[in-house]
Amino acid sequence: MRASSLLAGATALCAVLALATSTRAGVVNPNISLIGQPVLRWTDAPGDPARERFVLDAGETELMLDSYLNPYAYGTAVLSFSDGAVDVEEAFFQILRGLPAGLGIKGGKYRVGFGKLNPAHPHTYPFADRPHVLAAYLPGSDSFDDTGLQVSEQLALPHDVALTASADWLQGDSFRVPRASTGLANDPLVTAGAGRDGDRALEPRPAGLARLSAFVPIGDRSGLELGSSYPQGTNNVAAATRTSVLGGDAKLKYWTSANAYVLVQAEALALDREQAGWDGAAAAYTRTTVRPSGGYAFVDMNFNPRYDAGASFERFQDPAAGGANASAVGAFAGLALMEETTSFRLGWERYLPAHAAGVPAPDAVNTVTVRVLWSMGPHKAHQF
Amino acid sequence: MSRRAFPAALALAALLLPAAALAKVRVAASTTDLASIANSVGGEQVEVFSIAKPNADPHRIEALPSYMVKVSRAQVFLEVGLQLDQWADAIIDGSRNDKVLKVDCSQGVNVLEKPAKVDASMGDVHPNGNPHYWLDPRNGAIAARNIAEGLARVDPAHAAEFRARAEAFGKDCDAAYERGKAVAAKLPGRAIFTYHRSWPYFADAFGLEVVDTVEPVPGIPPTARHLSDLVQVAKARKVALLLQEPYFSQDGGQFLARQAGVRVVTASSACDADAAGSYLAHFDALFRLLEGGATR
Repeated sequence: MRASSLLAGATALCAVLALATSTRAGVVNPNISLIGQPVLRWTDAPGDPARERFVLDAGETELMLDSYLNPYAYGTAVLSFSDGAVDVEEAFFQILRGLPAGLGIKGGKYRVGFGKLNPAHPHTYPFADRPHVLAAYLPGSDSFDDTGLQVSEQLALPHDVALTASADWLQGDSFRVPRASTGLANDPLVTAGAGRDGDRALEPRPAGLARLSAFVPIGDRSGLELGSSYPQGTNNVAAATRTSVLGGDAKLKYWTSANAYVLVQAEALALDREQAGWDGAAAAYTRTTVRPSGGYAFVDMNFNPRYDAGASFERFQDPAAGGANASAVGAFAGLALMEETTSFRLGWERYLPAHAAGVPAPDAVNTVTVRVLWSMGPHKAHQF
Repeated sequence: MSRRAFPAALALAALLLPAAALAKVRVAASTTDLASIANSVGGEQVEVFSIAKPNADPHRIEALPSYMVKVSRAQVFLEVGLQLDQWADAIIDGSRNDKVLKVDCSQGVNVLEKPAKVDASMGDVHPNGNPHYWLDPRNGAIAARNIAEGLARVDPAHAAEFRARAEAFGKDCDAAYERGKAVAAKLPGRAIFTYHRSWPYFADAFGLEVVDTVEPVPGIPPTARHLSDLVQVAKARKVALLLQEPYFSQDGGQFLARQAGVRVVTASSACDADAAGSYLAHFDALFRLLEGGATR
């Protein structure tokens, strides 16, 4: 599997490079960007085999190809190389113009537009890892991504306020939550046999996402965006249990001088997840519902295009710990060596895991990361 | 006109006024310079706004949704071209406007500094040549003609007026060029430094020599060694002046001022406002600064 993935990735890379050298760049070739992010990490997490040791990791390397397909459509593909495996992280088309009433369409596999952080690639985050609350609440493992079709509409309101509404029809595979087998003889996970799809996780069940956001300009360059997202999908097909998340997000970017700005961003999430179980006596699935909530916020001071520093905070009810509170604080700083194609990001986080009432609090987990971001390829327009 | 007829006519005029405003060609411009030229060429028939303001680096404009909203209503988008305003495509795409006419204002310009080979070791070099052409007023005249043709395609009824105004504007540009040359000829020193390679058209037009730039290569901040080399160059070549935009770091300039007595003149390479006249007034303002700044 790993060898075939590597072969597929190497073949794709060779094809891209061959195309790039045999034809005129910028005419028929797509834009090609490669982003590497090796990381040095230290953690005192109990049970971590690398506890209190520095570990150097190649991290995830991203190869991005994008180009206009024709005057109306744009295509984007992002392949990620990590731990010897190749993954198609995103591959989607967008119809940019020509549709009635200013509609836009996006289709394929993509990072789902929940909030402000999930749609962005992690190398654009000012800190090392995505907030724990997103990992705990959103579908998917490393990110909330899925295959789907999005229809969006952008409305112009007075004072150049941009209101964007979008609806996604998703394949829904990212919503699946594996159920632990009870070991009972009539548990479908047991009766189906090892390695078989006892809970019918491979059956498709469509999911959806609705999002509404408004961008309010402040002066010439600053702005505030407020948004709300609501995905819903099936986490266990056989038990017909569902997951939904209501999210609210705010992002303020305020330029304090020609080269400096402050970025304040926050998201609040409320998870509503039915968890499937198995009742051997009744020979039926059971459902329990968890409704935890939480959120994160961070402030990032960009002193100039080369230096930034900030702090983050998050607090959430951990569904894996009976809804007890977990929290984390962090600090981070970035330095671009010359300009944005080579930068260093230093981060520290202190995570206090959730623990049930009456149980001694576990030790806080400290993690320090030094990440190097290097990129080659064309400079892209920065999006808000 | 009777006493009753006058208020009625006034009310009718008030009703018709918004319709007249709607009839204007809505123009989006990447920079204030192109917006100002468009106002000169379009006159009363256009409504123009610019995206990059003079206090912001035109290479690094963020594609804000509010810009997309504005461009969604535009009929013409004026690009600097030569890959300076690559962000414009993201804004136009985000606007979902399939009717907007893109006008590359660099068409017909005699492009300077076209590299034979480009790679990232050379810094942020523009592969099609230096894009800061508007800093030669003769290129302002070329941009005006491009703008006139673009406006004529969208509003053919006023095509003759657009072309006539572009011609008149061209003469104003020629006058600004002659004025600038006369002032530049009196400057005590012609050798200058610039921070970024933004001023070769300006120097070429007015007989100045850009001896070196504070950036060792475009987009890369200066190293201590490069600044030290510039001190030697300034002394050897009698470079009296550094011309740099306000959005670049002042540190290098301050070092050169201390070590080599170079006078730092901070001026945007873009004009102040979208209004007609602002583009040409910018040259006069630049020369006033140079006259004051070229003496040690």
